[in-house]
Amino acid sequence: MIVAQRKPFEEIKKSLAPYQNILIVGCGTCVAVCLAGGKKEVGLLASQLRMNFRIDKKKIRISEETLERQCDREFLEMIRQQVGDYDALLSLACGAGIQFLAETYPDKPVYAGVNTTFIGVAEAAGMWTERCRACGDCVLSLTGGICPRTMCTKGLNNGPCGGMAEGKCEVDPDRPCAWVMIYERLAEENRLENIQGILPPADYSRQTRPGKVTHSAYLRRYHAGTK
Amino acid sequence: MEYTKGLLKEIGLEPERLEMFHIGASDAPAWARAVTEMTERARALGPNPLKKEKKTIIQNVK
Repeated sequence: MIVAQRKPFEEIKKSLAPYQNILIVGCGTCVAVCLAGGKKEVGLLASQLRMNFRIDKKKIRISEETLERQCDREFLEMIRQQVGDYDALLSLACGAGIQFLAETYPDKPVYAGVNTTFIGVAEAAGMWTERCRACGDCVLSLTGGICPRTMCTKGLNNGPCGGMAEGKCEVDPDRPCAWVMIYERLAEENRLENIQGILPPADYSRQTRPGKVTHSAYLRRYHAGTK
Repeated sequence: MEYTKGLLKEIGLEPERLEMFHIGASDAPAWARAVTEMTERARALGPNPLKKEKKTIIQNVK
């Protein structure tokens, strides 16, 4: 899932300073799971803002709405009726959701309430770690299900580097070397031949931003007449 | 509790206004100590600014 962290309260407060009627829009998917921007976090932030503005003796109206997803138009459309009532929107979705909200409501100032950090997993309760950098050219089949481009601090396609010591990374001695993990996993599975050769450089043409994926069943709809 | 205290601190309220005590159902002296402790803290900190504002609004309405 996409992992995000709520921005510091002061930063959010500062960004909302010019407005008096604000809608906080949460997202019920990834950011809800990582406790950054779901319904509960929308409620907490709304209460904090209301209390803080009351202490500052500033009259402000904060409303709350949490959509199933902010990365789908059909869900964003669900607030079209009410959006007109507000001066600004504060989105607690990931960067994709915030942008889609801004795109859907072009005449409303949209502010970000979270910092989107990475694609990762729930390592333990309340802790998330990165696993994928969306390079568009996955080598996990070769590397025993461990991504060298993400899990190696240097993102090496062929490793380990000379800095590895006793299976640990030179950048962070508490972190296991991704390439040692890959080696051990493949050795266990008798698949070491996968990394005995040199992996070719990543295909950076697939990392051109912004990315675009069209499902093969929809090619005729979106790319009719093109080759 | 620490997290919630952090939320209060962020908005400019003293985190000491909030506390959680573990008190056994039959431990009346501990309950009395906790109440005294919180009362002393509230006196030292002064009125809750949110509450004060509320009173002002009511007066204005009258």
